[in-house]
Amino acid sequence: MTSILDQAAGTFFAEAREMLVQMEDCLLRLDAEPGDRDTLDALFRSAHTIKGSAGLFGFDHVVSFTHEVETLLDRVRDGTIELTAPLVALLLRSADMIGRLIGAVESPAAEDGTGAARDAESRALLEALHAATGTRPGDGTTAAGGMAGGASTTAQATGTWHISVRFGREMFRNGMDPLAFLRYLSTLGDLEPVVTLDDAIPAAEDFDPETCYLGFEMRLSTGASREAIEEAFSFVREDCDLRLVPPGSRVEAYLALIEQLPEADPRLGEILVACGAVTRAELDRALATQARTRETEDVQVPIGALLASETGVPAQVVEAAAARQVKTRETRAEESRLLRIGADKLDGLINLVGELVIAGAGANLLAQRARDRPLTEATQTVLRLVEDIRNSALQLRMVQIGETFNRYRRVVHDVSKSLGKQIELTISGADTELDKSVVERIGDPLMHLVRNALDHGIEMPGERRAAGKPETARVSLNAFHDSGSIVIEVIDDGRGLDRDRILRKAIERGLVEAGTSMSDSEVLNLVFEAGFSTAERVTDLSGRGVGMDVVRRNIEALRGSVSLSSRVGEGTRVTIRLPLTLAIIDGFLVEVAGGSYVLPLDMVRECVDLRPEAAAQLGDAPLGCIDLHGEVLPVVHLAAWFGRPVVASGRRSVVVVRFGENRAGLVVDRLLGEFQTVIKPLGKLFAHLRGIGGSTILGSGEVALILDVPALVASAARGAQAQRKEEQTCPSSP
Amino acid sequence: MSVQSMKSAAPSDAGDDEEMQAGGEPTQYLTFSLNGEMFAVAIDHIKEIIEFGQPTEVPMMPRFIRGVINLRGAVVPVIDMNARFGREASAVSRRSCTVIVEVRSEDGPQDIGIMVDAVSAVLDIPASDIEPPPSFGARIRAEFLQGMGKVGGRFVMILNMAQVLSVDELAHLGDALGAAA
Repeated sequence: MTSILDQAAGTFFAEAREMLVQMEDCLLRLDAEPGDRDTLDALFRSAHTIKGSAGLFGFDHVVSFTHEVETLLDRVRDGTIELTAPLVALLLRSADMIGRLIGAVESPAAEDGTGAARDAESRALLEALHAATGTRPGDGTTAAGGMAGGASTTAQATGTWHISVRFGREMFRNGMDPLAFLRYLSTLGDLEPVVTLDDAIPAAEDFDPETCYLGFEMRLSTGASREAIEEAFSFVREDCDLRLVPPGSRVEAYLALIEQLPEADPRLGEILVACGAVTRAELDRALATQARTRETEDVQVPIGALLASETGVPAQVVEAAAARQVKTRETRAEESRLLRIGADKLDGLINLVGELVIAGAGANLLAQRARDRPLTEATQTVLRLVEDIRNSALQLRMVQIGETFNRYRRVVHDVSKSLGKQIELTISGADTELDKSVVERIGDPLMHLVRNALDHGIEMPGERRAAGKPETARVSLNAFHDSGSIVIEVIDDGRGLDRDRILRKAIERGLVEAGTSMSDSEVLNLVFEAGFSTAERVTDLSGRGVGMDVVRRNIEALRGSVSLSSRVGEGTRVTIRLPLTLAIIDGFLVEVAGGSYVLPLDMVRECVDLRPEAAAQLGDAPLGCIDLHGEVLPVVHLAAWFGRPVVASGRRSVVVVRFGENRAGLVVDRLLGEFQTVIKPLGKLFAHLRGIGGSTILGSGEVALILDVPALVASAARGAQAQRKEEQTCPSSP
Repeated sequence: MSVQSMKSAAPSDAGDDEEMQAGGEPTQYLTFSLNGEMFAVAIDHIKEIIEFGQPTEVPMMPRFIRGVINLRGAVVPVIDMNARFGREASAVSRRSCTVIVEVRSEDGPQDIGIMVDAVSAVLDIPASDIEPPPSFGARIRAEFLQGMGKVGGRFVMILNMAQVLSVDELAHLGDALGAAA
């Protein structure tokens, strides 16, 4: 039981953190465009959800603090308080505080000694919140406007509701505790009496201790709205049978209730009488009336109609309310269609799919060898299905980069305040998807790049004005897909990088020798070398020793690459290129000197024959050039490059690959076609191997190596350089 | 042929399976031959023994890395022990085996296959029969040896697998070669 509760609490923590992210996001958006109704509503909902769920678990600190935030937001929502920039800042700090309070509940041991400081800060924040809620600068007109625009709940006078609930059988198994709901309800008002219905409990031999058989009939005296009461059950809304009878309802409403509930009518009647919802006389009379109606009309009178006719509520109101309920239920259903799944389960699935791909390819190979046509067709159908499964499975792990990007809104907001710079963050391509494992590991390098841009790239407003640039600087985060990779760009329109200064520094640090001729791009990319930092003074934001070399290392560990371009006075653009997934790729299988190699299919542009005269020119040199459609294409002769015997005879092919701006040809012995490639890491032993990115297992069970095309071409380019500088005895290490 | 079957097939005259030294020193060793010489490896490093199958060669790697094999879906490197000891690369024969050894590295345990000419037996060598490695005279680097075991009147060289298969050193050797290429 405890572990189930822990599990549910885990869900709460995860959800609360999501809600906090959403709150922050909403606040920052409201900061940019105040008065956006939808955002405001979303903000309110996030705070409300945190409060509600925290209440379920009895995390009182969180509840009471969040309650104040919610109250303030409610005032903002109904227009009595204007959401000013200082207020946004206060709310942002409050959101942080909620996060810390939740963190304290989650791991109480983790923060010994900081508790007191946190409490003091939380009290200060609470006072600030009170002060903000207390002052009402808004006038009547704005308040009216706010009321008209929103679907806010109007508070009702205190009344006694009748709540009838039958919890779902799965409740315990889902980690819920009925008591938690009762506890939460009792925070809304006076919960008395509560009658527990144990009718559904079967005989002892059929009794399953993990099944919830319980139901409750209770009376709640509260000023809370119907929505607020229903909200209390939002965690189990889908599986429980919840009915509310509003205060002041007439006996017919209870009658309808009796009819709808699963228990025998007389038994319920007794309970209702016991609760004090109806008197015995009323009940008897109503039951009699109902029986008469049924006899004469032989149709059930709809409850709505019954309610309307008996209580004098106009039918439209009832219909409208019913329609709204349906809508609420639909949105809830929408939410419940999202499943939370442990990442390890997903990884397990991906691994299995990987094995399935390999086994399927093996079966297909055997069928082809056996020359059994129906069998081959059958295995091909299986392969096609496996491919679909593979794609769907990988899709499960794909997440949008937007969430990662949004984290930097807060960073930009805070940094621009603390540095006195005016910075606007624009995000594009937030819906670009990439593998979750990549997303998780790109956060830190990206943070470093964004901070670098904010701290070093962007000038102070005065400096910008003097340079004839708009005072508000612009930092952009871009993401898009390009030939099987995802490209992420961090662009700023700041002062840019000074080529000469970088070169001077690099020479000073001994990274390059004085007098070396280098292209602009080569010089700029020196900032990624270990031990290079242009920051002349250390700030609290960046330059803490974690340099750009760490950024590059992290990105290269993801089989990605990073490059930089910049113009003095105009800004800097850092381009990160990452593979979409780390698990399975579409590959293109080739044969070189008897061995099988896989190229990422997305990089393959075309395949052409190596013409005899070109082959003769190439000979057994590892590098060369061929004429491709009238253009010069540098080629790597793989067999020779790998130090394998070159077979001069026979047909050879050139695979033309493209990645980013680069194009190159790879001379191979044979083209074997497309191949779904499950990437298997080669291990540390091969970590230094440039040009081979991993391995995979073919249908035959043999291991094939995966070519890391960008690294291969880069080392080939360096090799060509080394060839040119023949005077050196030892070529520069890669 | 699994280690378990090797164990049961091993001659039991050398002592009981449970017979362990107080210090927890392993007493069971797998012996194998390399270029006519007997070597031994403590059995707790060994995961399994498989028939030698031609590995996929990895280009631009040192000679002692024969390549990689598919071990039930995992890709495992195979080291040619003769080449590792600076001798001629092993010739493949009918008795050639790949012994899968688990070594510890910074990134956790890693499986590595070692190619040997033939696997002999699992022997119990009491700690009292193990001499420290000689400072010279052994035909391989002294730090590769854990000791010399006396078995039936002759010495077997007990290998220090942590040294022989040091992932860092092997990777470094590969790196040096890659840089020179």
